[in-house]
Amino acid sequence: MTETVLETDGLTKRFGKLTAVDDVSLSVADGEFRSVIGPNGAGKTTTFNLITGALSPSEGAVRFKGEDITNVAPHERVGRGLGRSFQITNVFGGLTVRENVRLAAQSVYSDEINPGEALFRDKNGFDEIAEQTRTVLEQIGLRDRADEHAEALAYGDQRRLELGLVLATDPALVMLDEPTAGMSSEETQATMNLIDEVLSDRSLMLIEHDIDLVMRVSDRITVLTRGEELASGTPEEIANNEDVRDAYLGGVRE
Amino acid sequence: MVAADFIEQLLNGLTLGMVYVLLAAGLSVIFGVMDVINFSHGELFALGAYFSLSIIAPFGAGTGFWIAIVVAPVAVGLIGAAIERTTVRPLYGRDPLYHILLTFGLVLVTNDVIRLIWGTQQRQLAVPEYLSQPVSILGVQVSVYNYFMIVFAALLAVVTWYLLNRTKYGMIIRAGSQDREMVRNVGIDIDQYYTLVFGVGAALAAVAGIVLGGYQNVNTGMGNSVIIPAFVVVVLGGLGSFRGAVFGGLLVGVVQTLMRAYSGSVLATFGDTTLTVPNLEGLTVYLLMIAVLLVKPQGLFGTRGEESDGEGEILVGGYGGVLADSTRVRLGGIAVVALALAPIAILFMGDQYYLVVLNEILIWAIFALSLDIVMGYAGLVPLGHTMFYGVGAYTAALIMLHYSQSVFIVLLGAILICAVLAWVVGSLSIRVSGVYFAMITLAFAELLYSAVFKFDFTGGSDGLLGFEALLGLGTVGESLSNIEFGLLGYELGQQFVFYYLALLIAVLSFLFARRMMNAPFGSVLQSIRESEERAEFIGYDVNRYKRRAFVISGGMAGLAGGLLAVSPSTVIISPDQTLNWIHSGEVIVIALFGGMGTLYGPMIGSGVFFGAEEFLSSYTDQWRLIIGTMFILFVLFVPRGIVSIPSLVAQRLETANNADGAVDMDEPDVRSDD
Ligand SMILES: Nc1ncnc2c1ncn2[C@@H]1O[C@H](COP(=O)(O)OP(=O)(O)OP(=O)(O)O)[C@@H](O)[C@H]1O
Ligand SMILES: [Mg+2]
Repeated sequence: MTETVLETDGLTKRFGKLTAVDDVSLSVADGEFRSVIGPNGAGKTTTFNLITGALSPSEGAVRFKGEDITNVAPHERVGRGLGRSFQITNVFGGLTVRENVRLAAQSVYSDEINPGEALFRDKNGFDEIAEQTRTVLEQIGLRDRADEHAEALAYGDQRRLELGLVLATDPALVMLDEPTAGMSSEETQATMNLIDEVLSDRSLMLIEHDIDLVMRVSDRITVLTRGEELASGTPEEIANNEDVRDAYLGGVRE
Repeated sequence: MVAADFIEQLLNGLTLGMVYVLLAAGLSVIFGVMDVINFSHGELFALGAYFSLSIIAPFGAGTGFWIAIVVAPVAVGLIGAAIERTTVRPLYGRDPLYHILLTFGLVLVTNDVIRLIWGTQQRQLAVPEYLSQPVSILGVQVSVYNYFMIVFAALLAVVTWYLLNRTKYGMIIRAGSQDREMVRNVGIDIDQYYTLVFGVGAALAAVAGIVLGGYQNVNTGMGNSVIIPAFVVVVLGGLGSFRGAVFGGLLVGVVQTLMRAYSGSVLATFGDTTLTVPNLEGLTVYLLMIAVLLVKPQGLFGTRGEESDGEGEILVGGYGGVLADSTRVRLGGIAVVALALAPIAILFMGDQYYLVVLNEILIWAIFALSLDIVMGYAGLVPLGHTMFYGVGAYTAALIMLHYSQSVFIVLLGAILICAVLAWVVGSLSIRVSGVYFAMITLAFAELLYSAVFKFDFTGGSDGLLGFEALLGLGTVGESLSNIEFGLLGYELGQQFVFYYLALLIAVLSFLFARRMMNAPFGSVLQSIRESEERAEFIGYDVNRYKRRAFVISGGMAGLAGGLLAVSPSTVIISPDQTLNWIHSGEVIVIALFGGMGTLYGPMIGSGVFFGAEEFLSSYTDQWRLIIGTMFILFVLFVPRGIVSIPSLVAQRLETANNADGAVDMDEPDVRSDD
């Protein structure tokens, strides 16, 4: 029996009258590849926001590596190994690609940097950070474009940089919100390969609209509709689930 | 008679409150709909009063007043609409910072036009005789004019409310303030309505100006004196909320008036203990504002979330590839050498006054540099930065008067006290973001400004004088003003010694800041400016970084203030010279003008600003008009500041070579992150 890395307990978020996430209790095992699917507005991103701390839940709790993190600040969660990407690309547009990745890598080491160094030592003079930056740039295939400003990159490249920012923080659980949104099918394939390859030794939560792809790559799948958890299970279980077929696969699928 | 007296004060308070309501209604709706922080609102208010002066003159007070109260607001409304069309419109969607710069320029221009046309002496606005009679109702005696003001302003407020809430135009405007895009999507040209809103807001301000002008008097400082209370009202009530403006206006008017009347008086006596009203006149409204912002950042009636929309972008300056790094370093070196040699040239010219100007430039270069650390790098816009400059100056003067005259101890003291102050203010303010952060720092600055008038140890409104710095440690050392030595037969004095001290400190401050920005700490600040959310989600405690940046910046601004006090040409440290909100505006303008986010840009900005002021004021009295116009042109055409000019020029040349194709002046692609 593998350990549980993430658990949510009755997670609920209300925006005024709308209940965007309704009593969701998930459990993600260590090393698991978990996909979250559901129609637009089902509450997938909101669930991610609750787990990562971007929003605080109306009710319920989040446990990460056995500790209750419901009231822990977002940056602190990142420090404990919870990394995330955004559905809408969110990179440091005015900084170079290298600096983007370097900043994420620096955050991992910031405990080891003393105040004097933090204020006065050249940011490029830290060997471990530079090493980590190089590795990640290599992984996401942006080494040749490292000196360009992030905002000057093509859309697909920006999505990969978004992924790189998560990788560089060296997370135990990686939460990716539609990393392939808006990509061509080749780009999607390349990105999925990248995800498979570099994240194979970590736990992963993925929001994704492409059902075929999800069926292929996931260990388990959670289906959300109108904020509620409709079903969770292996790809076969989900594919054979009556409720899911009625509510989602047969119906509103785009 | 105590009760009658109280009611009289209450009426006075309501009268003043009504003026605030008229002012704040326009200000608040303009912000709510267009996200524009309009500093020039106070000058439009003054313009209303001045127009009335000219209209009343030929007709006499009897009929002239009534003509004026209709015609002047219409005229000011048209001017407001014209201002919106020509200058504000191109800036929609930019960070509110640019509106500050723009409307600050408008303040200078309008104020100078008023001086030019109507002169600088205080004038009396004639009101019909039957309005200025005192009347006594139920034993309460005030002038008829009070009742007139209250009723007339209330009527206007009701009409405005009706227009906003019960007409089609009002509905569209309110919908637009909720969601601009949605209104555009249903095919309504919301931009047309902006002009209308701006014009009506200006007209309301003009009415307020006329009404208050008749109550008190008309002077060139009247706009400046109401704009900050008006902002307090808007923030208290909730940015964009009309109801909030009405409630906040009355509240501030009444609280201000009552505190003025009753500060220090006995409330009640219980046996031996007497309960007195604390002597907090002038402080109360700011304390109120800070309290409200901390508890309910969106104001009492505000509905917007505390997060700023984040649609605007702060444009940092930079050469962006046109000049190589090495060229830039060389240019910097040349500038320092030139500055080091400048006194020799001045010596031969024989006019030491230029040295005084250079000293001022250096002090403000450090001040503007300190602002750049928080504004250009961490993306925080403090509207009260002069509090550190002022407190630094006061601290330095007090240390010299009471403890030590050593320059080094004095400056160190100023830095430390301001760093502590910045930590306190920062801890409280950084929890709110965007415009609310700007406003809460403004409130703190105004609080300190009002406070120095209250205390003996700060010298009240006279300020502090009689201090002197020694160049040395402890009590040994040479008095700065005694140092005189000769060189080649020329007399060299205190100004020279101070100049080199200031130059050294300015260069060291720059090197310190540059080092910091190239180190891990500074790099995180830049990431926060780019995307606060992203910085948080790669693991940085954003608030802690902001607070530290604020402390460093506050300490450096305190150093600039301390230098001001130490300077031999400073005889007196007064509230207006150091703590007036105008200086907070000026330093933002200087930083933007030079080019934010570059460190050297704001320092260059200081040089150009004070150089231009000095140069222009020796030729013309209308130098404010010229500088104001310059700001307006800059914010419209060179938003990244002076330092972006080389790349703008290069871009021009390139497009000229490539034949046709217009240059996108607003968004030149010249960012750099050194
Ligand atoms: N901050 C917010 N305030 C109010 N309502 C919100 C907020 N965030 C999300 N919602 C609402 O909550 C519901 C769930 O939104 P969410 O973004 O979680 O959906 P999603 O499953 O990620 O959809 P998509 O596939 O389109 O990304 C939606 O109806 C959305 O409008
Ligand atoms: Mg989503």
